[in-house]
Amino acid sequence: MCYNELLSMFRENLVHIPFLTDKILLFQYGGSAVYGNPLVNVFANVPILNFILAAIFWRPLFAMLFIPGLVAIMLVLGIIIWLERKMTAKVQWRYGPLEVSRPIGGIIQPLADGMRYLFQEVIVHGEAHRPYFLQFPLISFLPVLLPILVIPAGAIYAIRTPYAIPIAIALVALIPIVLIAIGWASNSKYAYIGSMREVFMYFAYEIAMIIAAMAMVVAYGSGDAFVIVQKQSLIPGILINPFACLVFFVATAMATARFPFEIPDADSEVVFGPFVEYTGIIFGVVMTLAYEKLYILSLLLSILFLGGWNGPYIVWLGDLSPAIWLFIKAFVLVVIFVFFRTVYGRYRLDQAVRAGWSSLLALSFVSLGVGVCIASAGWF
Amino acid sequence: MKEISVELPVEPPVEVKSLFLPVPPGLMEESYKKDELVIFVGPQHGGSGHMRIIVRLKGDVITEAIPDPGYVHRGMEKLAENRLYLQNIPLLERPAIMDCANFNLGYVRAIEKALDIEVPERAEYIRTILAELCRIGTHLYDAGILSVFLGHTTGFMWPFAMREMICEALMRVSGARITASYIVPGGVRRDVGRDVLEYIKEVTFFIERKTKDFEKIFIMNPVTAARLKDVATISKKDAIKYGLVGPFLRACGVEYDTRAVEPYGAYDQLSWDVVVADEGDSYARFLVRVNEIAQSISIIRQAVSILRSMPEGNVISPDIAGKKKKAKKKEEEGEEEEVKGPSDVRGKLYRYYGRLTLPPGEYTTVTEAARGTVLYTIVSDGQSTVPYRLRVVTPGWLYLKGFMESLKGCRLADLQAVYGSFGYFPPEADR
Repeated sequence: MCYNELLSMFRENLVHIPFLTDKILLFQYGGSAVYGNPLVNVFANVPILNFILAAIFWRPLFAMLFIPGLVAIMLVLGIIIWLERKMTAKVQWRYGPLEVSRPIGGIIQPLADGMRYLFQEVIVHGEAHRPYFLQFPLISFLPVLLPILVIPAGAIYAIRTPYAIPIAIALVALIPIVLIAIGWASNSKYAYIGSMREVFMYFAYEIAMIIAAMAMVVAYGSGDAFVIVQKQSLIPGILINPFACLVFFVATAMATARFPFEIPDADSEVVFGPFVEYTGIIFGVVMTLAYEKLYILSLLLSILFLGGWNGPYIVWLGDLSPAIWLFIKAFVLVVIFVFFRTVYGRYRLDQAVRAGWSSLLALSFVSLGVGVCIASAGWF
Repeated sequence: MKEISVELPVEPPVEVKSLFLPVPPGLMEESYKKDELVIFVGPQHGGSGHMRIIVRLKGDVITEAIPDPGYVHRGMEKLAENRLYLQNIPLLERPAIMDCANFNLGYVRAIEKALDIEVPERAEYIRTILAELCRIGTHLYDAGILSVFLGHTTGFMWPFAMREMICEALMRVSGARITASYIVPGGVRRDVGRDVLEYIKEVTFFIERKTKDFEKIFIMNPVTAARLKDVATISKKDAIKYGLVGPFLRACGVEYDTRAVEPYGAYDQLSWDVVVADEGDSYARFLVRVNEIAQSISIIRQAVSILRSMPEGNVISPDIAGKKKKAKKKEEEGEEEEVKGPSDVRGKLYRYYGRLTLPPGEYTTVTEAARGTVLYTIVSDGQSTVPYRLRVVTPGWLYLKGFMESLKGCRLADLQAVYGSFGYFPPEADR
């Protein structure tokens, strides 16, 4: 029966988290120990629930849904928007968000903002291409979530393939196309200018970024994230090829419109560029797009250069332990990227494009040379 | 590159007609036919202030910028014709948000010129301190706006926090944080105590210290330099031709400062330099004002130390004080018919200045406000207690032409950088 086959397929490949999927030692009485049922098995005989639970803890789905997937993204979004405002406020002699949930420092402010967006009217102006205008913000989740399929977090992964890094980079590169389409569907002058800026920036960083990532793939001799991380167990990639790391870092800042490259959606110049016509929850969705992209690229950055999920193994977390190490590294990177807001203004479009096509591209070729040297010397 | 032009059957939308744009006829049609884009920046735009700039773009380069000012025009010149000379003081400090003392000073000096009264030395020094405090405040305000136009939010918050100290100082001197209305014909409203002078001196040290931090994070920031250097450069000749004023003229290499050329207040008794730069680009315009903050601080410190050694009390001209005494005497003797004692809501100053009339004639003063020359002309008919005509020419209005001309050839993203480098303030220009 299909149901039972699926169930057993799920059960064969469950995530191993001791405090959830193992037997729990309740207490010891004399020589005999009394164990409680693992949480997964509590509903083992309940028809639908056991299927759902097994499906959730099935490795591929767990990776997509929890870590490094949807829940982790939502966690990053929830914390980073608050943390960005709070950090900036600290530097700027202010308090930042405070009024909503004062005892915990206003941490649920993004949630409150989200609720406000939810109840706001979504205005679709007359000139807009209505179906695309409303579709694209939702379609944008596709290229954001798909790279998670091939980005593993330790033992929690969906697809293991030797082409993981190229596939992830290629999927991330689809996001600007959605942005450009958003600007086109908006059919407004500022949205048009913002989209054109996005196009120029896209060409400025993408090539350098791909070359830097490929330099590392060449150096490690594989695009498989497991191989890459395993090879970094002694020395992280940032020390082996710092040029590639620098290029990837700068390209990430450009790709996600972080300062000093916050050019496509410069609020004082083109009033949020492609997103100028969006209101309500749709604006909330497109606003988080850059943060989601930043999180994905930070995951890639930590896998390629910071040793991925390498870290002390925490026994009671089981499979979650490496995933959490990866998450922490990515999160710290995200924090660094958003902190640039307090230090830098924004460059002009032509300056950023010039930097992308000259120094960044040249540096990426240098990094490719270094990568080839490492591969041919066989240091890994 | 060879340019290919194609006749396209497109026309601007009908709504454009109803906007009554102040553009040459046919500009919209022409730009729609060519590969050009006309965009409206403002008046409701994050980077424009209360003014519309009609920008004609070719690619990313601005070929023409046409201003559409007047969105915050309040008709101050006309309003002033229906108010007493005294009531015009609070009115005429409204154009510039932080620059109250300089704007008052120009108007009050015009009245003093008409009445030909001498201002006591102590009052002159207090006026100078106030004017320089306002100058620092305005420059900090403009630096903040420039920063936020360049996307640098820290550079926005810090000067505004520094400005808070100046607001506090103004409050201790006059009782109001931004609209002091402190300078009155013949002197200042009341004397400044020793503790307030100490506080003002502390404020100068605070601002000096914090300006160093600000310099690290914004002024010397490589991104700021990259955005402002060689942007919207105006040559010395053009600067004079377009009639630039104030720090923007000095940034183009013209050493002209009304404070130095026609000294008023206590400026001729204090030692200070006219800040000049030669580059004439946006960065020079910004740096000139940053250096002027340092000069203003030095002026304030000198004035404070001189004021300390001066006897307190004499802050209003004997002419006006004589009037005051007379009024008081009248009050005591019960000769006052219309106004009575403290119960009169119009206040004390009204009794002294309420019936002020100027001799017939035309009186003009030129004052160096923070953003440049402000000109006041009072025309009096010699009988009425209100001006027959009052002319105010604010610096914003004077350098608007130069601002628009300098935009040509810049990129669209430069619009905000140039805007901030000029510190253009629509309420000031529109009056």
